[in-house]
Amino acid sequence: MLLFRAEEHIETWCRQWTQPRGATLTIDQAWQLANAWYGNKMEPDWRRGTLEETEALLTRLGLTGPFWNLRA
Amino acid sequence: MSAEFDTSVRLALYREFVRTASPPTTEALAAGMQSSTAEIRAALERLAAGKAIVLQPESREILMANPLCAVPTPFRVRTQEHSFFSSCVWDGLGIIAMLQSDSILDTSCACCGEAMTIDVRRGKIVPARGVIHFAIPAKRWWENIVFT
Repeated sequence: MLLFRAEEHIETWCRQWTQPRGATLTIDQAWQLANAWYGNKMEPDWRRGTLEETEALLTRLGLTGPFWNLRA
Repeated sequence: MSAEFDTSVRLALYREFVRTASPPTTEALAAGMQSSTAEIRAALERLAAGKAIVLQPESREILMANPLCAVPTPFRVRTQEHSFFSSCVWDGLGIIAMLQSDSILDTSCACCGEAMTIDVRRGKIVPARGVIHFAIPAKRWWENIVFT
């Protein structure tokens, strides 16, 4: 996951590296995702989230659609 | 060995990584936990198999104790005490979330190279310009965790 100054910089990068356009997040969305994903990584009871838990997290953050589909 | 032991190894390696801003070696973990290097090595392999950490391909030492990265990258998190590297911008934010400390993530625009920072204070992002791009669909993140 890379940071870009603006949407048009993503377009340029995708062309330069012949990469398909992926999905974009605002910095705030990424911060929320980072908190949910890593906030308890140093806790004794940390465990990797299940498929259902991860789906619920992505949905809660508004990350829905084919790109975020974990099953397809 | 038990899951309890693996948890102890995970906690020890994260605490040491955060304390020193450097990943502990297998030998250092063994010494610190009064275990054999073989026991620690086996625990690290189990943690890697469970996708809790990523090991280097040849040495089998720690490459990523996600979100922390053992090698220099274009993503650096500065806390008041240390600097840490992450493998991507999400993991950089993940370091700040995990440490729960005011920090600055230094990186640059992946397209043009312009320096960019993300500043987190008291658990909130200081408004900043920028957009984050995920190149790989979520289902495939672990196929190549270094390139997502």
